[in-house]
Amino acid sequence: MQRKKKEKTSNVELSELPQAISSEKTKGKKVELKKKMQKSKRKVEETSSSPADGKMQKKRKAKGGNVDISELSQITSEEKIKGNKSKLNKTKNKRKAEEINSGPVDHEDDHLKSEVDGDKGSSEDVNADMASNETETRNRNLKGKSKKSNKKRKTNRSSTKENETSSEKMNETEEEKDVYQISSGDEDCSKGMKKWVTDYYESRPGLDELQKRIDDFMTDHEERLEQERKDREAKAAEGGWTVVVHHKGRKKTTDPESGIAVGSVNQTALEDQVAKKKQSEPVAHGFYRFQRREAQRNEILALQSKFEQDKKRIQQLRAARKFKPY
Amino acid sequence: MEIDTVTDSRTLKVNDLLKDIRIDYDSLTNLVDDFVSSIKESIDAIPDDFKVTSELAPSFVSEIGADKVEFNFKKPNGFSLCGSYSIRCMAKPDACVDLLVHLPKECFYEKDYMNHRYHAKRCLYLCVIRKHLLSSSSVEKVEWSSLQNEARKPVLVVFPAKKLDQFPGFSIRIIPSATSLFNVAKLSMSRNNVRSVSADGVPQPTPTYNSSILEDMFLEENSELLKKTFSEWKELGDALILLKIWARQRSSIYTHDCLNGFLISLILSYLATHGKFNKSLNALDIFRVTLDFIATSKLWERGLFFPPQSENRVSKEEKMQFRELFPVVICDPSTLVNLAFRMTSVGFQELQDEASSTLKCMKLRDGGFEEVFMTKIDYPVKYDHCVRLHLKGKPAVSVSGYCLDKECWRIYEQKVHSLLQQGLGDRAKSIRVVWRNTNQDWHVESGLSVLDREPLFIGISISSIEKAFRTVDIGPDAENKLEALKFRRFWGNKSELRRFKDGRIAESTVWETQQWTKHLIVKQIIEYIIKRHLSLSADDIVQLVDQLDFSLIYGDKDPMSTSGNLLQAYEVFSKCLREIEGIPLKVSSVQPLDSALRFTSVFPPEPHPVACEKIDARRLHKLLPSCIPTMEVMIQLEGSGNWPIGDLAIEKTKSAFLLKIAENLQNVEGIPCTATEDNVDVFMGGYAFRMRIMHERGLSLVKRDIGADPVKQVSSIDKMLFIRSQHASMINGLQGLFPTYAPVARLAKRWVSAHLFSGCLAEEAIELLVAHVFLTPLPLGVPCSRINGFLRFLRLLADYDWMFYPLIVDINNDFGRNDEKEINDNFMASRKGYEKDRQNISSAMFLAAPYDKASEAWTSTSPNLSEQKRLAAYARSSANVLSKLVLHEHNDSVQWECLFRTPLNNYDAVVLLHRDKLPYPRRLLFPSELNQGKHVARGKASTAFNPFLLPGDLKRSHEELKKKLMVDFEPTKCFMSGLQEEFGTLKPWYDHIGGDAIGLTWNKHNSKV
Repeated sequence: MQRKKKEKTSNVELSELPQAISSEKTKGKKVELKKKMQKSKRKVEETSSSPADGKMQKKRKAKGGNVDISELSQITSEEKIKGNKSKLNKTKNKRKAEEINSGPVDHEDDHLKSEVDGDKGSSEDVNADMASNETETRNRNLKGKSKKSNKKRKTNRSSTKENETSSEKMNETEEEKDVYQISSGDEDCSKGMKKWVTDYYESRPGLDELQKRIDDFMTDHEERLEQERKDREAKAAEGGWTVVVHHKGRKKTTDPESGIAVGSVNQTALEDQVAKKKQSEPVAHGFYRFQRREAQRNEILALQSKFEQDKKRIQQLRAARKFKPY
Repeated sequence: MEIDTVTDSRTLKVNDLLKDIRIDYDSLTNLVDDFVSSIKESIDAIPDDFKVTSELAPSFVSEIGADKVEFNFKKPNGFSLCGSYSIRCMAKPDACVDLLVHLPKECFYEKDYMNHRYHAKRCLYLCVIRKHLLSSSSVEKVEWSSLQNEARKPVLVVFPAKKLDQFPGFSIRIIPSATSLFNVAKLSMSRNNVRSVSADGVPQPTPTYNSSILEDMFLEENSELLKKTFSEWKELGDALILLKIWARQRSSIYTHDCLNGFLISLILSYLATHGKFNKSLNALDIFRVTLDFIATSKLWERGLFFPPQSENRVSKEEKMQFRELFPVVICDPSTLVNLAFRMTSVGFQELQDEASSTLKCMKLRDGGFEEVFMTKIDYPVKYDHCVRLHLKGKPAVSVSGYCLDKECWRIYEQKVHSLLQQGLGDRAKSIRVVWRNTNQDWHVESGLSVLDREPLFIGISISSIEKAFRTVDIGPDAENKLEALKFRRFWGNKSELRRFKDGRIAESTVWETQQWTKHLIVKQIIEYIIKRHLSLSADDIVQLVDQLDFSLIYGDKDPMSTSGNLLQAYEVFSKCLREIEGIPLKVSSVQPLDSALRFTSVFPPEPHPVACEKIDARRLHKLLPSCIPTMEVMIQLEGSGNWPIGDLAIEKTKSAFLLKIAENLQNVEGIPCTATEDNVDVFMGGYAFRMRIMHERGLSLVKRDIGADPVKQVSSIDKMLFIRSQHASMINGLQGLFPTYAPVARLAKRWVSAHLFSGCLAEEAIELLVAHVFLTPLPLGVPCSRINGFLRFLRLLADYDWMFYPLIVDINNDFGRNDEKEINDNFMASRKGYEKDRQNISSAMFLAAPYDKASEAWTSTSPNLSEQKRLAAYARSSANVLSKLVLHEHNDSVQWECLFRTPLNNYDAVVLLHRDKLPYPRRLLFPSELNQGKHVARGKASTAFNPFLLPGDLKRSHEELKKKLMVDFEPTKCFMSGLQEEFGTLKPWYDHIGGDAIGLTWNKHNSKV
């Protein structure tokens, strides 16, 4: 399964590449990326090898396609430069991936992989469709990069946005080196470890300061409540009458404002009493014949419904081929 | 099938099971007939009267100790099909058909029953047949096997060239039968027929040897007997299939010294002929009655005797003789041979135990179908303590010959067993020694000396942890000279004379060890005994006990060793809290929330010299971590009506209270604190405690509304606190009840996070899963060792049918029928969407606990279905590796590490973190390495953070040093939240305990939203 997927995607990559490169020169990035995506989608559909489940796959593909597009808009907006780069890296990347796949893979891993894949089941096809998308993610997320890579990258990106042409050149030189260098982020404190450490210390200004903040909040809060109350009263005074809202349910026995029991009975105590009452009925179960009959009937009904449920479950189990003790 | 006859779901399931397991005889018969006739043809084509000598298998003949084995070959007297095929009771995947080849009398002399001559000739005869079968075109290959692991009785397994996909592995077993070859009187149990078996020159009886020959002589008759009972009684046959499935799932009883298919059918047919089964019983009833018979019948003590077919009744003396010679007697109608002569008393005990535990399972509310028929109970999951002895090339095994009355391997099994029994005493509930020494690739030509290649397996069930962890074994009193001498002889230098508190002076053995390595005492004992009495080297003894402990070691020891301090600090802290004066509401109760306070944390915090009331400058020289983890503690205040309304206001009030408490602690007691807007942390005795307040008002509502209507006015923070406190106290109780619970839970947590599942499965959910392993152990016993418990956790994770069943963790046994119904209803509601869309279910793992009947607490959002499947796949793979490691592999630590080393090729991208910037570098199991994929970016490490306090820091004032100590600072978490903020479509897989790798996958579900 995994193998097939890789092959499929690599086909797409290879055939699509010249077009992609040629279009790169001429067209605006946004449009071009979208186009490429659609193209690759079409390609996948064409190249889907097994005619037997072709229909099924196509259907799913269509689904996957939708997803692609919706994602695409997100991606393209912020991933312009990335798109470029990934294209160039893609072939290499893929070839490498293929090598790995065909090479001797650790036995356990392989096993795991196949099982995971098997479980993924239907979603795999969608996955395959998204492969072109995925490669982007792959690049975007930088195999084997440092922890701050993603964030660093973003900051870098925003700076490079202005001089796109130069960055493109830069990308090309980077491609030689293959490895993108990310700064540690120690210089500016907007991202990365430095920021986290600073945040940590800033969040601990000392007990007094915190106490003050809470006090401020409380006064604020109380003022707001006071204000609300005043507003309400003002409203009531204005019209000279208040709207009586019908409260659904039982009358409240606790005053919501103070939390003090208003009525003579505590709500929880009452409910406990009721519950107790229910439990100790004056006549034991099964004293009257009708009780026994009723109980019997209920039991039979319960059994019947359980039996029906079980039957259904077994059918499901059977579908899942669970009756193989070996 | 009429609906009336099907009374419950178990019967339905059993019927389905039978349907799947039965073999379609219509298509098999053709295959068998064709193949048998071609086998017959090629055997019949063997020319008569050529001389067969020991040349064919010289080492077999010499090692078995036989002479004068030459004979002139004659064609077999005939062939007959026997075994499960002939009674139509084969059970898939077994596809082996037994074919009896009747040995011709002309090939044997009258006295060939002596000195293994029969066995040697029997083997040579098979050699001839094999040679000719190999040249036949219809035969693909011929393998050697043995009858019930008895090496002196080899059989041939013939695989056809023509195969049917329907029956994978179809083969025919050629078993020689020796009907009326010898005079049975000469083979009676009291006679000696192997001359070398003698004591002081007096020949001893050889009952096992005699039985071995007699068995062959009555193979045909007994097979006829079975045919008679099983034909025309479909239910009996079905019951036999069920029993076979049951027994095959239990490797400890389906062995050469216990049960096999033939013996099961024999027992069934015994019960049938004695009218124990009503004809109206269905297969499952017969199954139950049989198990009940096995488990409880008094008849076993007297022995089972089939009604004799001829006049010769079994006399009382003969019965007595059988009873004395064999632990279990099943005497066939000929009254001459005990067909259960291989069964040992240990094996039979095991069988009875299994049968009675199965009966218990069948009384479970859901009928126990899964437990009885579907759960594999192999050695690794059955025994707490597994040992393998590698005896290859050890002459001690066969020092007095390979085959005497019994074979040397069986004698050795017994020897090891009795040694261990004596050595372990009441520490072990049961000890099983099994040496399955004949395997597939054995050739009789290579003789018997090669049969020690497989390791000998020892499985031990621990009786109780208290006994197993005992450090002193008290032997006999010094005055009892005889016993004391025996004791000394057994234990050698290890035994010492000691005076005990009660004034007794007795021989004793002392196994000194540290508190956290007490689980190794049994290992020490076994190693000592085996080394002393079997003179094996340490390399030959592989004990499966501590191989997983590496994952729990912090630095050079198990951090559990300091958890005594931890609890002490907690006690002091909670006392301080309760005694605080000068805050508006007093603290009414303090409860632990953190897993370290219930011993289930993988790495409970180590005491940090800086996190104390007074810093001891002398302890500041070591490499000190700059981070300290916190432990959460829940506080309840006195009741009051003055709490504000609104979640935010309540939380702020709580913070205000906590700040007040902190201030108080700092000013009055001098206990240092630090706080943020949300958290208040207190340093105490080297630990950092984080305080949480639960607001009582919500509580009474929480209690009732759990599961019903979560919206109400209970704030979710209070609810979560309540649930966590309930969980904490329950797990704490549980770990007190089962001492192995905590280490197993720690291993399980380590495994889950090592495979980067920290984001999918909450720690509490893992604790519940492990609790389930301990609380509902049937069909097994409660696990008493780490490896065993861990394996069961993995199997639970891998095999549990989450889609169709809720997992109910009933910690105090307080679920009644109504609770169960409620849980089931909640479960069904969560599976409602399933019919329409397989992905559409909430909480893929439904975990119901007494405090949470709707599975809302831990698994409501994660894992989702695909995560759960991934988890199950990983667990299955790990469980398989682990079982294999226990049974076969050599004790290679790299292999064991594989269990915790996660493959990094299952992700779309992998982020490797700077290892020297992890807050707790010593928690890292293995440095991750990537040797695939494309390396696209490298980041420079920041200098802002160092996991250890720098020497410069240490010189500063104590106040500043305290500020330097970072409480609960986890860069990985910060990174994760940043990642999620910016890339919502990526799913991160990470290890929250201390991994250096983060896997990323494209998240399809999020992207749709």
